[in-house]
Amino acid sequence: MKQTVYLMAINEALEEEIKRDEKVFIIGENVQQGTFGVTSGLVQKFGTERVMDTPLAETAVAGAAIGAAMAGFRPVADMMFADFIYIAGDEIMLKAAKWHFMHGGKVNVPVVIMAAMGGGMKIGAEHSMCPEALIMHTPGLKLAVPSTPYDAKGLLKTAIRDNNPVIFFYNKGLLGLPGEIPEEEYLIPFGQADIKREGSDVTVVAISRMVHMALEVAEKLKDKVSVEVVDPRTLEPLDIDTIVESVKKTGRVVIVDEDNRRCGVTAEISAQIFETAFDYLDAPVQRVAAADMPIAAGFLEDYVLPQPKDIEDAIERVMA
Amino acid sequence: MKLEKDDLILLYRNMVRTRKLDELTIKGLQEGKVLSFYHSGQGSEGLAVGSAACLRKDDYLWGHHRGHGIGYLIGKGLDGKAFLAEHYGKVTGSCLGISGFHFAEPEYGALGAAGTIGSQFPISLGWGLAAKKTGKQQVVLACFGDGGSNRGTLHEAFNLAAVWKLPIVWLCDNNGMAQYTPIKDTYPKDDIADLAGGYNMPGVVVDGMDIMAVYEAVEAAVDRARAGGGPSLIEAKTARYRSHSEGSPDVSHTVTRSEAEIAELKKRDPIETFKIKLLKQGVLTEEMVDQINKEADEEIIETEKFSLDSPPPEPSILNKLIYAE
Amino acid sequence: MKLEKDQLVKFYSLMVRTRKLDNLMIEALNSGRMAGFYHAGPGEEAVGIGACTFNMRDDDYLYPHHRSHAIGFTLARGISPKGWVCRHFDKNPGEVEGPTAEERGIFGISGTIGGGFPLSLGWGITAKKNGKNQAVLSFFGDGASGRGTLHESMNMAAIWKLPIVWICENNQFGQFMPIKDAFAREDIADIAAGYNMPSAVVDGQDVLAVHEAVEVAVQKARAGDGPSLIECKTYRMRGHAEGVPDVDHVDPRSEKDKEAWRKRDPIVLFKENLIKQRILTAEEVSKIDKEADDEVAELDKYQQECPVMVPSDASILDVFLYAE
Repeated sequence: MKQTVYLMAINEALEEEIKRDEKVFIIGENVQQGTFGVTSGLVQKFGTERVMDTPLAETAVAGAAIGAAMAGFRPVADMMFADFIYIAGDEIMLKAAKWHFMHGGKVNVPVVIMAAMGGGMKIGAEHSMCPEALIMHTPGLKLAVPSTPYDAKGLLKTAIRDNNPVIFFYNKGLLGLPGEIPEEEYLIPFGQADIKREGSDVTVVAISRMVHMALEVAEKLKDKVSVEVVDPRTLEPLDIDTIVESVKKTGRVVIVDEDNRRCGVTAEISAQIFETAFDYLDAPVQRVAAADMPIAAGFLEDYVLPQPKDIEDAIERVMA
Repeated sequence: MKLEKDDLILLYRNMVRTRKLDELTIKGLQEGKVLSFYHSGQGSEGLAVGSAACLRKDDYLWGHHRGHGIGYLIGKGLDGKAFLAEHYGKVTGSCLGISGFHFAEPEYGALGAAGTIGSQFPISLGWGLAAKKTGKQQVVLACFGDGGSNRGTLHEAFNLAAVWKLPIVWLCDNNGMAQYTPIKDTYPKDDIADLAGGYNMPGVVVDGMDIMAVYEAVEAAVDRARAGGGPSLIEAKTARYRSHSEGSPDVSHTVTRSEAEIAELKKRDPIETFKIKLLKQGVLTEEMVDQINKEADEEIIETEKFSLDSPPPEPSILNKLIYAE
Repeated sequence: MKLEKDQLVKFYSLMVRTRKLDNLMIEALNSGRMAGFYHAGPGEEAVGIGACTFNMRDDDYLYPHHRSHAIGFTLARGISPKGWVCRHFDKNPGEVEGPTAEERGIFGISGTIGGGFPLSLGWGITAKKNGKNQAVLSFFGDGASGRGTLHESMNMAAIWKLPIVWICENNQFGQFMPIKDAFAREDIADIAAGYNMPSAVVDGQDVLAVHEAVEVAVQKARAGDGPSLIECKTYRMRGHAEGVPDVDHVDPRSEKDKEAWRKRDPIVLFKENLIKQRILTAEEVSKIDKEADDEVAELDKYQQECPVMVPSDASILDVFLYAE
């Protein structure tokens, strides 16, 4: 194993895949320099044909990547902020998601659309979103939301090799997160949740940056309550079986996500637990998510986005 | 309209105020008082102040994101207090301290600012439609950068503004850099103004570092728009002295922009060149220049104090902001 | 390249077959034996057929547009019309001989107008990266010319000198909207100058004029000289879709205009030209027309015999959700 950080793990995945498959290229605004560092340094190694800077045109960035994917390439489009995928709604929601299905399986769209999601930087309503539910809601799109360097690298490599459109949301708040990854190559299959901490009293399903918040709370409460932290890692496909297994063991569950609460990821997972594991629940499912409002910048960001105290309170509620 | 001596002095004064506020905001970011981003506007003060001076207070304004549009608002008569307080996350800010670096001053026709570059085009189109329907000869000054010019929203809005003959002045602040990407790699021609031809709309190129050239070009376009002559496109060639946003590397693709390159840009500094011109014309004296700078410094101290002394917003305001009454 | 006699005859035959298939759909929809939508395109056959028939290699990419649901393009690319006919009647055509659309670089038609621009941009990148001098022909209507995707894609294609020929089939109506109220200039081709891109306006009723203009642009594209824009002026003879009112905003469209354009029917013009130049005799023309009638009757019969496309097991839909 070797030590790295989250953004370098992503960078390594890109580097290895570009090297491995001549059909892989990166396209996006300022990807040569790299706004968040995840694509930095690659143009020096692979040249401008493999790492393409574009004009400021999100619709065309996504569309060009999707078009080239249909025609045999495996492009990775970086949209910079996850909020900006809305600008390419037609291309991502209607073309990438539907064209395989709509054309009777005759067209493949092996594209990766990646973008930085998440708050913590206090940069306001149009630069802080986690639009996971939007993607999870759209059949035909896969969605990876890694929380660690290990997961980020393994999932991104899988995403690039998948024959379907994959949305890969890396988290702005995790870019510098340290962690270990193997020296040798590895892949992480989609649809396999990872138990980030074992416990017996309560299951906390947490996503991306929230995994770390949940782990922090679990550690804090360890003398009072044994918390199991489950990280789904991909939201489509969603490994509901692992979540349900954990719930059967603990009988109590809190779901934590940074997207909005209403019709959010927490709502979907909660519904699936009620549908499949109702008899095992000792308390109603509790959810911790962003308040149903745009994300305030500045001092009030913390009031919109989930905080450790919110998770603690939710655990207290299910344990009561 | 011929500018009187006092008007010229005001243009100079407003550029100085804009520059000093920009410096203060950078300092605030470095000291951790500015909570989000800052995209410095140094080098585009002449464009902002000169163009906004052509507007009535009830005209609509979308100042683009260099300096977060404050130069335009100062040009239109606002001071920097609500601007800085917003950046400090204080409740006295333009948006109660919750917008970060976005900005709205509806009284000055500035109905908002976006986090997505290029969104000014369709929204300004809507303002132009409203202006036309209202029938009070209002105009829209809609600013964008060379980066924004690549967005498809430009095409949709330019076309419809032309078809509907809306009173919009599209003003491009072409500083040659879109974040880390130089204009030569984002547009196939020398002049973005050449796009105008495709929409049957006048397109002119001006030296954006020359505030008088800016004023004259924008005034002509504003007059035309008020008279019902439809939209125009003005491309102002300016410069970006600093990096895309404070704290980010100042690179073209991956190559650091050299000090010599920046020094070359600064030779055309809009404030310095205008000062020299006014001194030569006898409109300003050295004493007046000193006085203007001193007053601007005092204003800055006051602006900073105002922002520091203001409280952050109460969390209870958030719920009230989701829907209008 | 001067066209040989058999090539000229092929142009004629393709246009006639396209027209007759178009008529079949109009009849079938209006008589109620076919459900769904149909966007007919009689009078516009010369554009797609003139552009695609002899200017494209098998491995080129093509984004057609929605008039006549791209049957002219389908035939011009040598793809059997069986699948096309059966799809409209919700029938399963079974195994169809000949190349598939995908094998001829057609990946689909966007349900959103203007959706073709950025996808074509992606195919242009693909073609350039492949390094095999492939070209992309990307069609759009006057209705799509207002979409922002045009600007982003034409700009990027120009910067990167991609081998794309943008072809506007300007039939003067975007659904109910006349182009004069939707675009700021007389010629959509005028936007090309903003991207430093060559452009041409051609008579879309003249199959040879379309062929020649596109030929020049395709050669440029293959030679690495970047994209071009060609606007073909034509006219929409029928309503936007069968069964919807044929109006200009709210008023019925002018019969006078239609009559003037009917006199410039591309099939009639080309037929007269062929006869005048003694390339075909009137008898030979009749024979081609008759063969087309027979083919269409055959196709109609074929689709009637095909099974209805209702999957006994809806699970085939799940199979299509993701690629293997």
